[in-house]
Amino acid sequence: MISQKLNDQITRIGPDTPAGAVHRMYWQPAALVDELTDDEPRLPVNLLGERLVLLRQGEGYILATRQSTPDEPPAHHPARDDIRVVEGGPVYPVVEKKGVFFAYLGTGEPPAFPNFDCFRAPDSHVFAFKGLWECNWLQALEIGIDPSHASFLHRFLEDEDPADSYGKQFRDKAAHTDMPMTQLLREYPRPDLEVEETDYGLKITALRHMAHDLTHVRVTNQIFPSAICIPMSREMIITQWHVPVDDETCYWFTMFTSFRQPVNKELMRAQRLKEHRLPDYAPLKNRTNAYHFDPDEQETQTYTGMGPDINVHDQWAVEGLGAIQDRTREHLGRGDAAIVRYRLMLRRAIKALETGQPEKLPMQDRALTPQIIGPLSNDAIGDTGNWVAASKQMDTERRAGCPWDATV
Amino acid sequence: MSHAADLAPTDWVVVAQAQDMAVKRPVVPVEAFGQRLVLFRDNDGELGLIGRHCPHRGADLCFGRREDNGLRCPFHGWHFDRTGQCTEQPAEPADSTMFKTIRLPSFPVIEAGGAIYAWFGDGAPPPLPATAASDA
Repeated sequence: MISQKLNDQITRIGPDTPAGAVHRMYWQPAALVDELTDDEPRLPVNLLGERLVLLRQGEGYILATRQSTPDEPPAHHPARDDIRVVEGGPVYPVVEKKGVFFAYLGTGEPPAFPNFDCFRAPDSHVFAFKGLWECNWLQALEIGIDPSHASFLHRFLEDEDPADSYGKQFRDKAAHTDMPMTQLLREYPRPDLEVEETDYGLKITALRHMAHDLTHVRVTNQIFPSAICIPMSREMIITQWHVPVDDETCYWFTMFTSFRQPVNKELMRAQRLKEHRLPDYAPLKNRTNAYHFDPDEQETQTYTGMGPDINVHDQWAVEGLGAIQDRTREHLGRGDAAIVRYRLMLRRAIKALETGQPEKLPMQDRALTPQIIGPLSNDAIGDTGNWVAASKQMDTERRAGCPWDATV
Repeated sequence: MSHAADLAPTDWVVVAQAQDMAVKRPVVPVEAFGQRLVLFRDNDGELGLIGRHCPHRGADLCFGRREDNGLRCPFHGWHFDRTGQCTEQPAEPADSTMFKTIRLPSFPVIEAGGAIYAWFGDGAPPPLPATAASDA
């Protein structure tokens, strides 16, 4: 449990808020390139409590401030011709990376980009999508650094054929075995967690000790301040930002990165467009229709009764915590170790900015940040006494087979 | 959704109709006296009226799994009996006894005369209202 004052401090992100200042030290996903409909776009962007518009400037793009009214919905998407720029309002730089427009809403020189796999893989191997969640960004992030929820929230009572798993989380085989990931997660629900601080955020290792002295090792990552990098299948990883729209709304932006084969973007896009509406990328299953909850399905097929899409499970979980999770009533356990560690990092970053030491935040050194590669993000199974090496070896093997430079 | 009176609790109040609970999955939200609650029937057939949000991180137990004679949170599997007592935290280490210290608020409930009544006051509840008793 934390105080209301601290909860406000670490969740609220508008201009002139402590956590908002931390977010404004980093490039933020602002829009998908897929959202552009013409060469001279006026694309509304709602980001960090600001009402903005993506415009062309020369060969590139900028974010300008647009006129708005206080009663606009959080993800308001006015028509092109209804958008008016606020003359003299804040204007922010934009760069495009692999299908995503990133914007920097801070003052001063923007930081460098790290060389994460999603940024260094070729365009053919990265697919980007986004979706709207109606809750504060921090609870959206916290579910992503909580490895034990997958054994419950994403539990499938029956396993499907992993051959049908393309583009879906947790539906592949576990590492090099024939065991579906869904079975592994179901049978080993109490992972041991190891959390270590890195130059980009946190490395989170979840160990599931199995029969015959084997251990399943799942390595996921927190990328400061609002992203995660996690394995999706043996072929793909997910780098996902939880970007604040305002205090009570956020977008997830995901860059799916494929190691060997190019991403089947048409299939990935069609799978996800079927679950979202345009232009605001709001999910079709949502609070207003009880996420299509089906009590019969909950009894026999899935833990939530909300269909097989794990994004919907996550969305239900985080939106159900309230617009801003009331952390004065929470009871964290040992399974929440990475959440606890992350909050300490965020508080330390807030303190550093308040005392005029922005260089103490992760990835602020423009010379060193481009040297950050990876991060290792995979599932492996090895001998219990030798799981560290097994995790590294299986990641190295996967990377060695890449047509692009994925070495770490 | 039942909106029982927001007056100070001096008597039993109706929080649901019996027919609301005569369904395959008897789990319904209740709001009363500023509290967000969930009313459910366990495998013994007994009613429980307990806090709606899991004390772990706050997930909505109205979508909980009705199993093992209680309600299980789909987020991390924390399990609660009809008194609100947490009985299991299956994602925590096997030697953890934290669950013993976790208890949701809970309120006495009685089914009578086609309605479900709850007592939100302090101390022992008064007798059921005459109207309810006469129908029972």
